Amino acid sequence: MPLPSCPVIKSAFALLLLLAFICLSDSAHADPLAIYFKTSPRFELLRPFADPANLSVLVTQSDGRPLAGAAVRIRLEAPPPGRIFSTDFPIVEGTRLFDLRLPLVRGRAEWKYLFPIRGNYRLSVDVLRDQVTLGNQTFTFEVRENETKWFVLSMFLLALFVLGLVAGRIFTGANTVLAVLVAMLIAAGTPARALAPADENAVQREGLEVSPPAVGKLSHLSWRWNQPGSFAMASLAIFHLEKEKTVFAVEKVPSNSEFSLDFQFPDGAEYRVDALSEAAGRAAIRGEKVINVTGIEPPVSASIPALLLFLAAIALGLGVGRLTKLKSS
Amino acid sequence: MDRTIARSLLGLSEPISFALRSGLFLCASAATLYLLLAAHYPAIHDTMHNIRHALAVVPCH
Repeated sequence: MPLPSCPVIKSAFALLLLLAFICLSDSAHADPLAIYFKTSPRFELLRPFADPANLSVLVTQSDGRPLAGAAVRIRLEAPPPGRIFSTDFPIVEGTRLFDLRLPLVRGRAEWKYLFPIRGNYRLSVDVLRDQVTLGNQTFTFEVRENETKWFVLSMFLLALFVLGLVAGRIFTGANTVLAVLVAMLIAAGTPARALAPADENAVQREGLEVSPPAVGKLSHLSWRWNQPGSFAMASLAIFHLEKEKTVFAVEKVPSNSEFSLDFQFPDGAEYRVDALSEAAGRAAIRGEKVINVTGIEPPVSASIPALLLFLAAIALGLGVGRLTKLKSS
Repeated sequence: MDRTIARSLLGLSEPISFALRSGLFLCASAATLYLLLAAHYPAIHDTMHNIRHALAVVPCH
């Protein structure tokens, strides 16, 4: 199509083209990075306290090439508390699980993590270069409860229902068992005592430091090797001794004399932290520390919905037991 | 003594008697469930720890 001949219209047309170009280039510049988050196994197969998942973040430039010379700050938030029922670690719900910074190697950062509870997690990724944020993204994903636990819960509810049903049949009719029940009630009621807090850190090793760990709070872990300024590949793993599972691990992270992170131990138990730094031309440096994480007992209010559910199963059994007994007689 | 208290309650009508017995049974069950699944008493807690976690909706630490 020929351009209009009037110079004013020509100028306006040129200005319009220029503005369109600026707008397009500006929008491309504002979001030049693509951030991808992947887990292995995939999200649908993740289960709490099953096996540690491999997690990775990939950052690419607008042309699809992996971003080089940058790092990512990664923060993971635990699922918020449920509306009615608690998970088995209510103190962890809605808290930050870790906060770490990993350098990108060929645009990628990888680590292992064992998710502690079911629910919707939120992972925030900030891409940094020299303390300047180049981009950020938040990912939400769901970790479903282990099916075995739902099965065990169903069987437990069924057992309570059957208990109620048998009791309901016995209680309908003769009064012979009332005395036994009253005696049971009077005899019941042992007062509960608070759980004594677990011991503080058991072992201290130079180079590997863990701030006093407690469930519900982030602890600072730092691994320093005794050659300041020396570049090395750092590896760090946190191992749950009772469950014999790795709950967190990073391998061969390029670091300069130190690797650190903030991490929440989700369970009041013993953990072992293993650290390793490897560099060409010198022997690997190892660090190990066993820590005893202070468990925090959940408030009794968190148990009430579950207890009411169990009592409801018994009450339903009582009702059904009475009905069946009345019908049969 | 427990039996004496119980015997004094035996002259009730059947529906009231059932309600009373069921109520007492539920109270006893609640106390037992609380002790087993919610109390912080270390010996019971340690014994029931894995069961508490296996039930998915029972809080633990």
